[in-house]
Amino acid sequence: MSEFPFEISPMFEGERVRKEGMFVELGGPKSLGLELVRAKPMDEIEDGKVTIVGPDLKDMEEGKTYPWAMIFHVGGELVEPDLESVIERRVHDFINYCQGIMHLNQRYDVWMRISKDTAAKMDSFEPFGKAVMMLFKTELPFIEKMQVTFYTDQAEVEKQMAEAMEIFKARDARTKDLHDEDVDVFYGCTLCQSFAPTNVCVVSPDRVSLCGAINWFDGRAAAKVDPEGPQFAIEKGELLDAKTGEYSGVNEVAKKLSSGEFDKIKLHSFFDAPHTSCGCFEVVGFYIPEVDGIGWVNREYQGMAPNGLGFSTMAGQTGGGKQIVGFLGIGINYFYSPKFIQADGGWNRVVWLPSMLKEKIDEAIPDDMKDKIATEKDVTDIESLKTFLKEKNHPVVANWAAEAEEEEEEEEEEEEVAAEAAPMMMPAAGFQMPAMPAMPMMSGGAGGIKLTFKNAKITIDRMIISEKKEKK
Amino acid sequence: MTRVIAITGKGGTGKTAVAALLIRYLSKKGKFLLAVDADADTNLPETLGCEDVKTVGEVKEYLQAEITKPKPDNPDMNKESILKSKVYEIIEEMPGYDLLVMGRPEGSGCYCYVNNLLRGIMDKLITNYDVVIIDAEAGLEHFSRKIIRDIDDLIVVTDASRRGFRTAERIRELVEELDSNIGRIHVIANKVTDANREELIKLAEDLKLNMIGMIPLDPKIEEMDIKGIPLFKIPDDSIAAVEIESIVKKLGF
Repeated sequence: MSEFPFEISPMFEGERVRKEGMFVELGGPKSLGLELVRAKPMDEIEDGKVTIVGPDLKDMEEGKTYPWAMIFHVGGELVEPDLESVIERRVHDFINYCQGIMHLNQRYDVWMRISKDTAAKMDSFEPFGKAVMMLFKTELPFIEKMQVTFYTDQAEVEKQMAEAMEIFKARDARTKDLHDEDVDVFYGCTLCQSFAPTNVCVVSPDRVSLCGAINWFDGRAAAKVDPEGPQFAIEKGELLDAKTGEYSGVNEVAKKLSSGEFDKIKLHSFFDAPHTSCGCFEVVGFYIPEVDGIGWVNREYQGMAPNGLGFSTMAGQTGGGKQIVGFLGIGINYFYSPKFIQADGGWNRVVWLPSMLKEKIDEAIPDDMKDKIATEKDVTDIESLKTFLKEKNHPVVANWAAEAEEEEEEEEEEEEVAAEAAPMMMPAAGFQMPAMPAMPMMSGGAGGIKLTFKNAKITIDRMIISEKKEKK
Repeated sequence: MTRVIAITGKGGTGKTAVAALLIRYLSKKGKFLLAVDADADTNLPETLGCEDVKTVGEVKEYLQAEITKPKPDNPDMNKESILKSKVYEIIEEMPGYDLLVMGRPEGSGCYCYVNNLLRGIMDKLITNYDVVIIDAEAGLEHFSRKIIRDIDDLIVVTDASRRGFRTAERIRELVEELDSNIGRIHVIANKVTDANREELIKLAEDLKLNMIGMIPLDPKIEEMDIKGIPLFKIPDDSIAAVEIESIVKKLGF
């Protein structure tokens, strides 16, 4: 790369230009710093052109801080506005490949320093601009044409900043509107496999990671930089069931990454083949069989849920990278998903939240459900929860009646099912269940029950089957 | 290649003082150096004459709060570049060396992702320097989390007590359990007097600990401590400073 006055290599990424060795500082905590990538029609771009508005490097005073904006225009047959942010993320990488140039942060918080050594080798930002664009076109060959404008004049930077803020706002609105069906690729994360070896975290636009830290965009960015790293692409494959969020590609990955432990993960299901739970989820959901509803408790909540258990006990039950029917770990952001446990009734199934969590996610709760969901301030146990739900006419109450009728008809069958269903939970989960009622495997619906035993080791000390006597 | 040296030991043995003396000596010798305070009790900055430092712990909390917001304003933000920026921002630029303070332990949420980002940032940051000196608590938490992955030399500082040496022994066992890459383990005995010198040499031999230095009890250090003068200003000819010179040679500088 001898055509450039400084060396270019990924080796320089992370290079720190200290104050003592710095010629000038651009943007940063003390000034304005902006970077923006825009997709433009091919005929509006003069390929390789660098424009400088304001003082150039040679006109700058040593040791000073200057405002800074860089606007890249990119074009190409495959370049579309949706790619702007993907391209923009690489600005950080490519600038850092340049020796003696430190680039930090992103968007409207950009902070750069040019070292004395590098500044001594050039009097203009032009070779720097050309180097960065060369890197872009080499690494992202779908960019056919590219030009850049650097602004160092305060008024100009302010003007660019104001325009850019509107662009970022529109872009964020678009990203917030992205759903599972709009993309072909989801992302997996195996960071938690160090302590939950069979955990398979699947991150889709409508489902944030369980820890809440990784969304679909983070997955996409990380997988692009290091496809072999802890975050990687999952081709979503064929949509098997839209309601439960079942995809052939996700199932394949689930099987592979759990070493055959599971063969299915349904992204938006609570009961059937739910997402695995690692241990670092922000919130854990728990089924309350007595009301056929689901409660959620967050890590910060210190008290007990109506089932008499706290977060840590339930987290202990749920964690470890298993599919535990009756419990589900999620990231808080998932409450905002339009597909939030849609396989099992979504918000209509939610009966209890700690008040602090309910306040935090207030916006996510549908208006007609807000006063129907109890908190620790309304109820303290199952009985009071039942009364509360009945009073508020919560949608789950309608299921109670239906179930009661069924019960009468199928009394004897249920007896059998209960005997089988109760011990089945334990070996599957790999540990003792706490003292709580057995969890029925069915979710309210009518008809029979399907029991699938896989790899199950069942020990039953004693089993007594006798005729049921009416207690009156 | 960057040489990474971690200094640890039981509380009160003077490990931070030893770290400060090593930083002082090596940076005077012209080594470009990063000092890392990886003890939640953060005494190193003060010992080096630096106050009011921001910590990596605070930065982690900031990012953690930002990214686990129920509704992020900008779901597409580049978290790695933001974290890196914040870490680079809090690096204290001291004359001839940089100082980074790890600070408070993390909160109750899941830090896997943030720590994973931090690991990558630290890996690259470290390559900027000739030497990294880490003042680490005896539990070696940052190493078990692999925030700093590879250590060339682990120095356990002990005072002239049997318990101090036992800590050294335990740390050696702990290191074997961690799957971090730790090159060599050395011991420095601190606050040594003529009365206990022979005894300590024998104790180290019995425990098969590689002792690379014995720093005498230095009245100058005690005096500076009481007056609140940063240890960094210790005169070159004080007995502790002289011993540090010999230790640095034994470390192969």
